[in-house]
Amino acid sequence: MKAGENPFGDLLQDYIVESLPLAEQVGDAFVELERRWRAGDPGDQVLASVTGSLHTIKGNSAMMGLTPMRDVAHALEDLCGYLARAGASRGDEAAALLVTGGGLLVDLIGSASADTEPGAADQFMARVLGFLGVAPEASAAGPDRRQAERRTQPRAGDTEAASVVRVDFRRLDAMLEVLGEGIIQHSALAELYRRLLRRVGACEELGELDQTVLSLQKTLSRLESTLMETRLLPVSTVFGRFPRMVRDVAHAEGKRVRLEVTGGDTSLDKAVLDRLGEPLLHLLSNAVAHGLELPGDRVRAGKPAEGLLRLQAAAVSGRVAIRVSDDGRGLDQTAIRAKAEALGVDTRAADTAQLHQLVFVAGLSTADRVTTLAGRGMGLDVAANVIHALGGTIEVESRPGQGSAFTLSLPVTLAIVRSLIVEVDRERYAVPLSHVAETVRAEPETIRQINNQGVTQWRGDLIHVADAGAVLGTGKPCEAPRPFYVVMTAGARRRGLLVDRLIGHQDIVVKGLDPALGRPAVVSGTTILGDGRVACILDVVRILEGAAHGN
Amino acid sequence: MAIDGRAAVEPLLGFVDALPAAAAGASGPAPTLHLLTFALDREEFGIPITQVREVIRVNGITRVPQVPAHVRGVTNLRGRILAVVELRTRLGLVEGPVTAASRIVVVELRGRTLGLLVDRVSQVTKVPVDSVAPPPEEVVTAETDFLTGVARWDSRLIMLLDLDKVLLLNA
Repeated sequence: MKAGENPFGDLLQDYIVESLPLAEQVGDAFVELERRWRAGDPGDQVLASVTGSLHTIKGNSAMMGLTPMRDVAHALEDLCGYLARAGASRGDEAAALLVTGGGLLVDLIGSASADTEPGAADQFMARVLGFLGVAPEASAAGPDRRQAERRTQPRAGDTEAASVVRVDFRRLDAMLEVLGEGIIQHSALAELYRRLLRRVGACEELGELDQTVLSLQKTLSRLESTLMETRLLPVSTVFGRFPRMVRDVAHAEGKRVRLEVTGGDTSLDKAVLDRLGEPLLHLLSNAVAHGLELPGDRVRAGKPAEGLLRLQAAAVSGRVAIRVSDDGRGLDQTAIRAKAEALGVDTRAADTAQLHQLVFVAGLSTADRVTTLAGRGMGLDVAANVIHALGGTIEVESRPGQGSAFTLSLPVTLAIVRSLIVEVDRERYAVPLSHVAETVRAEPETIRQINNQGVTQWRGDLIHVADAGAVLGTGKPCEAPRPFYVVMTAGARRRGLLVDRLIGHQDIVVKGLDPALGRPAVVSGTTILGDGRVACILDVVRILEGAAHGN
Repeated sequence: MAIDGRAAVEPLLGFVDALPAAAAGASGPAPTLHLLTFALDREEFGIPITQVREVIRVNGITRVPQVPAHVRGVTNLRGRILAVVELRTRLGLVEGPVTAASRIVVVELRGRTLGLLVDRVSQVTKVPVDSVAPPPEEVVTAETDFLTGVARWDSRLIMLLDLDKVLLLNA
């Protein structure tokens, strides 16, 4: 079929959706296989695990008339068939061929159209034929083997397919919008009930109204959790592309790396996941390029030649924690200090943890040389900004000679956030509850002024307490002392925020900031409260960061 | 009070440019501009009604910390968050109080929807194109930069605002 004449245009998306994850699995398996072969493990199960996927990809591609994909899948099948035979040479050449082929397959399917790089596919097939040419008996065995598979292997997912529908994600967003309106209207109803109760006093009808409003709330929260579940995807959908990329970076850097992925089934809102790939990729590449040592250096330091890179995900108290750790050399504190001083940051008083936090400051990359990585992707500061924009936090721990770990804490969803509503200078603000440790009555005698900053004892620690009006830039001086403070936390940072009133807890629907508002540093979004008023959502991470830099 | 901005009206962007052409073809009824006029202090301003989506009462404007000076805040427009521009400070006047007569003129410009806080909305006014003159050059104030012209008509002086310039936010 000629390029551009694909009669199945509408089906192309379906093809990609079905085939790309399979191709990624195959690609990952080949990377794993290469690692095992180097370690002396034959990896038979890994080799066996890809045959079904390759076969499906070949069939799908043939049906769509996508010849390059079909040919590459076919060539890989032949190659695997040959390698599965006893005595086949499982050396670096075979491994490199498999990894290249797996990557090519992912690339081709990802940008699926019949006219993508036929040259690359042809070249690859020529290499495979060249390789197999050394062992001509393989091609004779190939077809029989494949036919046997066709008979014995039912297609994965056949049984589930009947109950699954594919929905455009924008429809889920639209549903969420409607649900958001429902939640706002419920708050309005509840408010109305309270006003009625004050005006006419308790009566039977009002009691029923109260019950109805209450059950409406339960219905809405059931609807919310159901809808949220449909928006959730396992993090493995993002993790999928990492093994090959880590392998590529390791090869380019001359490192040996084993990537260990756990918790791939942890779920996150697709809207969060979509923006997580880049920062994670950066952290992983960074670990390989700068964290892990060259094999020779590792052995001299008494470590295994192969570096260990861990990518772990887990649900932790309503949020998702993702950790990227390596057993490399750890952050170079001397280099960080030197770079920071060069940028005019005074680090004399900084302790180790504070020094480590500096890696998230723009311009403070400690890489002492430009690698192939440095050119692409983002800096650590940009990665941290993306995480913060998602309402997440990023922390780093490191020990010299033992390695570094970056821990991300992310909200499961961005759309609906349980928040504490507070009042400051007659305006209401929402503080996401995930960042609220406690609300405390502010007794004037418990807050001392040190260097013009309020300081108080909280759970045995000294924390700063700042006036919300000053933080938000809305307060007029000489106001009466505010009666409460909210202890806000983000990672290891804490700070009290003095407010006028605590209104209560509420699920709020996050709405964005109009571009006309610029980019206020203390507000991450807006929401509509039950009485129809708009409230700003405080960006706790940035407020605490600003406070830290201000100090 | 909603105004149908999609009534058949003259295209109005760049009214001043249209003047010579209108003067040349002076046969038949003179072409007119349909303006929504509103007041800031004692001055009357006009914008083409094609740019106006609706006019709403002021029902709570929430201040947003750390925004540009000419942004008054945000308000709830039927479940959507609408940014409200303080037109007075934008045009070099002092910020005024919100009164019962205050209105938010919701405008649509280049695909964006914004609110303009004004002291009061007068009416939709038809102004003959030939009553519009360029802004007087001898008067140079903060606001003249934002004018496309001045209409003298029916003993009124209406200053025609160039919303593109007024709302060129953060520029």
